[in-house]
Amino acid sequence: MIEGILIGIDTAFSGYNIIMVMMGCFAGTIIGMLPGLGPMSAIALMIPITYGFDPASAMILMAGVYYGAIFGGSTSSILINAPGVAGTVSSSFDGYPMAKNGQAGKALAIAAYASFSGGTIAALFLLVAAPQLARVSLSFQSADYFALMCVGLLSIAAFASKGQFLKAMIMTMFGLALATVGQDSLSDITRFHFGNINLMDGISFVLLVMATFAMSEAFMIIFKKMDISFSASDVSKEKLGSIKLSKEEVKEMVPVVGRTSVLGFLVGVLPGAGATIASFLAWGFERSIASAKEKLKFGKGSIKGLTAPETANNAACTGSFVPLLTLGIPGSGTTAVMLGALLSFGVQPGPRLYIEQPELFWAVIVSMYIGNVVLLVLNLPLIPYIARILAIPKNILVPLVLFFSVTGVYLISFNAFDIYFMAIVALLSLVLRILNYPMPPLILGFILGGMIEKNLRRALLINDGSFSFMWERPISLALFVIMILIVLLQIYQGLRKEEKQN
Amino acid sequence: MTINYTRISALIFLLLFLVYSYLAGEIEVFVFDEDADFNARTFPKFISYLGIVVSFLTLVLSKNENEKLGQYEWLKVFVLFVLVFTYGIIIKSVGFFLSTNLFLLVSYYYLGVRSYKTLLLCSFPVVAGLQFMLHGLLDVYIRDPFLQFLGVIS
Repeated sequence: MIEGILIGIDTAFSGYNIIMVMMGCFAGTIIGMLPGLGPMSAIALMIPITYGFDPASAMILMAGVYYGAIFGGSTSSILINAPGVAGTVSSSFDGYPMAKNGQAGKALAIAAYASFSGGTIAALFLLVAAPQLARVSLSFQSADYFALMCVGLLSIAAFASKGQFLKAMIMTMFGLALATVGQDSLSDITRFHFGNINLMDGISFVLLVMATFAMSEAFMIIFKKMDISFSASDVSKEKLGSIKLSKEEVKEMVPVVGRTSVLGFLVGVLPGAGATIASFLAWGFERSIASAKEKLKFGKGSIKGLTAPETANNAACTGSFVPLLTLGIPGSGTTAVMLGALLSFGVQPGPRLYIEQPELFWAVIVSMYIGNVVLLVLNLPLIPYIARILAIPKNILVPLVLFFSVTGVYLISFNAFDIYFMAIVALLSLVLRILNYPMPPLILGFILGGMIEKNLRRALLINDGSFSFMWERPISLALFVIMILIVLLQIYQGLRKEEKQN
Repeated sequence: MTINYTRISALIFLLLFLVYSYLAGEIEVFVFDEDADFNARTFPKFISYLGIVVSFLTLVLSKNENEKLGQYEWLKVFVLFVLVFTYGIIIKSVGFFLSTNLFLLVSYYYLGVRSYKTLLLCSFPVVAGLQFMLHGLLDVYIRDPFLQFLGVIS
């Protein structure tokens, strides 16, 4: 392990990779700040750029983009109450009132320090937890992987559904169905290509992610007439106020950081959960344990109320790398996109990753420390300048996002069919989003589809076509029990919701 | 049971999964694989069965939601969609540089940008910069008849 960490440090601290982290954090901050464009869109836009890179540098860049986007989302939450990222919605509860009280600079500083602490503490947990989990998961067989992926799909459907579990399940099934288009991995038989040569190789993962996120977000900005009344002068140094914190304020933050970084990390590790749930939970948790006097401050500019979600969302981002790197199963939509990118590099994340490619495994973890420092040292002082990006009018922004999405896909295949297909998928996903069909389950279903089929096939062949592995293997059995519990919980919640409405 | 957009969408998904299920049964497999425990048809069939169940449940159980689809900018999005589609049609024949600039200029103009300075500054330098990065720095070749005609690229 020590040797691996040293290799990771060596890789992560190479000049090239430090530039990657800095670029990632910077680009992520800018894209995450733009309302509507979240970390998934940010990472999707980065994928075509990373095709010439080695996998470690690409992952380092994308990880930087991920937490940069979360940090950028906090900035727009605090300054204009328009979160660019769902994970920073709860930061606006107390961040925006602080900004309105002339303490925008202080709120941004608290967000930066909390993000830094949350990310750094969680990276420590990751350093310890990831190899342990990877070691345990070496005993996993195909049946267990199949069960684990089903748990992942079910839980992301449960968490991303916002109370509409069935719609999320339809999206999951749709994603799985899309994954079956093209060549079957074992028999090489082509399926569902309808005689179209462009579909014989399957649907491109980058195309699907770009269309469902980046492009449909751009359409959504126009569609919902989203506009931001923001001018560059709103982030002048005078208007932002001081970014210095007093000793009392730091003292108030420290215990909150300690508690919510653990909470955020644990939530991040869970499949399907992520920064959004972690940040809401942390805000609610801190509010519930606060004294009656402090409770009143929540929602009106409480330092604790801002520290908690900011720490938790960054800790959760780091936590979500645990299942990705150790099991090869993404815990969230964003890490699903990263998994897709890794697979396209020919890297199969899983328990053997840290043995076979330690430079990649450890470099990503080590780079998280560098990324957190970059966010604090580089981005905080630059916020007054970076935040001017919010002043870009939508009629300039939208065509640029469309252009980058189209170019990103075209540069991979040089096939005009991909552009038509992408436009159609983007339009369809816009309609589905308006009807409250969540997109992350579709992406996760699409990315996991091939792996689920492979593992189910292996499990069935080992068991002579019998599904007995579901109850004969203890790991699989435990995972299937979890699946049943998730479904029962959704039914119970649905019934309670109905009772309340009646 | 009232008709709402969710129910209509669930019905479409139900039909889609029914067709998918039929097509899954039509996948040609090798003769020796016909009776295998798992062949190229098996997984799509599982998905289609589950898809049919969840879309049917959505169709039956969904409640009326606040669905006002008329308040949105449908036309503008559709025009942008057409622009992207047209961009895809002309990119091969006209080339990357000219088609991208045309796409950006028309999109900006359609969305209300009227300043010539903004129109030009937000299109040509962006596309030229990206193309320089791709050609000059990353060695990614993009076929461009227009720039070849001008002699900018070989």
